[in-house]
Amino acid sequence: MSIWIIIAIIILFALLGAPLFSVFGALAIFLFISSDIDTSAVIIELYRIADMPALIAIPLFVFAGYMLAESQAPKRLVNLAQSAFGWLRGGLAIVVLSTCAFFTAFTGASGVTIVALGGLLLPMLIKQQYPEKFSLGLITASGSIGLLFPPSLPIIIYGIISEVSIDKLFVAGILPGLLLITILALYSIREGARTKVPIVPFKWSNLWQACKEAAWEIPLPLIIIIGIYGGFFTATESAAIVAFYVLIVEVFIYRDLDLLKDVPRIIKESMILVGAIISILAVALGLTNYFIDQQVPQALFELVKAQITSQFAFLLVLNCFLIIVGMMMDIFSAIFVVVPLILPIAKAFNVNPVHLGIIFLTNLEIGYLTPPVGLNLFMSSLRFNKPILHVAKSIMIFIGLEIIALILITYFPPLSLWLIELFGVR
Amino acid sequence: MKLLSKIDSTLNKIETTILIALFIGMLLMAFLQVILRNFFSGGIIWGDILLRHLVLWIGFLGAALATSNERHLNIEILKRFLSEKQRYFVSALTNLFAALICYLLFKASLTFIQFEIANENVIYANIPSWIAEVIIPVGYVMLVIHFIIRILIDIEKAHTNKDRA
Repeated sequence: MSIWIIIAIIILFALLGAPLFSVFGALAIFLFISSDIDTSAVIIELYRIADMPALIAIPLFVFAGYMLAESQAPKRLVNLAQSAFGWLRGGLAIVVLSTCAFFTAFTGASGVTIVALGGLLLPMLIKQQYPEKFSLGLITASGSIGLLFPPSLPIIIYGIISEVSIDKLFVAGILPGLLLITILALYSIREGARTKVPIVPFKWSNLWQACKEAAWEIPLPLIIIIGIYGGFFTATESAAIVAFYVLIVEVFIYRDLDLLKDVPRIIKESMILVGAIISILAVALGLTNYFIDQQVPQALFELVKAQITSQFAFLLVLNCFLIIVGMMMDIFSAIFVVVPLILPIAKAFNVNPVHLGIIFLTNLEIGYLTPPVGLNLFMSSLRFNKPILHVAKSIMIFIGLEIIALILITYFPPLSLWLIELFGVR
Repeated sequence: MKLLSKIDSTLNKIETTILIALFIGMLLMAFLQVILRNFFSGGIIWGDILLRHLVLWIGFLGAALATSNERHLNIEILKRFLSEKQRYFVSALTNLFAALICYLLFKASLTFIQFEIANENVIYANIPSWIAEVIIPVGYVMLVIHFIIRILIDIEKAHTNKDRA
């Protein structure tokens, strides 16, 4: 009985805002002690961090993302997308979606997209006479829209925790990610047509000029995509190449950032995020080890099996559960703690672990937007100085659209799995 | 308050300097490995071991900085309903909780390191593994120190807040 009281106290601290790593650490230490295992077992599990080659990709990609966000890359890419899509009704909305997707993929949906791009894009939307509510909602939703595209951080972390090949996950996310963007883009085009926003005539010369300006940044996604699909290098290797490439391009070619003035500050800023993630992973490994040792997933499975018999119903319950998780927790903690518990159950219901990963991430992407605690809501509210309730209202229609995409992604596995077979990714 | 901030910022400067040096080392090493592996068919054998341990070191240094910059990931539902003064009080409480847990993790990592030294484990050639692992206890001690500084700053702020009100 007293076990539950202590666990309740630890959870209370979590709700009061204690750092999540200390909460998971407390749970791990307490559970090990209550099973008469020495607490150094937590550290033995922690030290497995030094056994995970895929983790090397995290600091490198986060650094690359922060470098891009701090440079003039957002401007150049918005410019490029504008000259490519600006002639469409609702074209500017597609510009928002595509550039935000690019940046979120690189910065891992940590709110950086809204900070780096929002200030640039919101005035553009308003100036082109898009309704304010639509514009705010679109930018808030776009803050996590690229989550399913490589080299998104949450994908890498899901791969590490679930021991599914990250290369496979990178490929699996492409079509579901495009589906999400397409659904939001179609809605935006309709909205653009309805409010009769002005259009910019298409000019080849503009597009050519914008391409030339962004010439060094256009290859970035290609390095990752061709590198991995072509089997030239792994996710970790492409992280090393991308980080080094971005450093050279932004400091020495574009000269947007100063090697001595800006780069050390960006390293510090980006590694703070890495530290926040790694400190949670460090203790979550011990906690997970305890769960598996005590056969908690099996017990959960027995519990679930008594209520749910079909894969269809399981996926439905899973989605509802994950949206709630996404509302409460940041995406990284959610992956560290929930994936090890869910994965064995999903396997028992014949859900492919790669497909599960895409379902998982899509849910958490929606969780970013859902009141009361969705991260994007707060980022937007802070960045644009709008009441949180106003942002929440503006986002409702986008949550609905993303749920439609979620349903398609959940119940149509080939969306996630077809490309893997096509390319024969291992 | 002034002294506290001074200690905090001095610690921060030291940690930042080491962190930046380690990250640059990691970036160059990781890139070099890709070049060697793809064009010269063979990387440095200890290179990957070094890189994987650098993740651990960078993680702990980043976590220390996340503490003084209040950038740790947390759930903030209840905090939003509190007044400013209450918020400092709750923050002192949760930081105390974190300091305590970090202290326990520090003790656990000491046991771990002692075990590694006693067993004379090595990571590569004749380099003892505790040299690479020492960041774990050191990292948790740094976190304890940073959290204690946070607690004192919170209490201080709660007081000045009351004075103003």
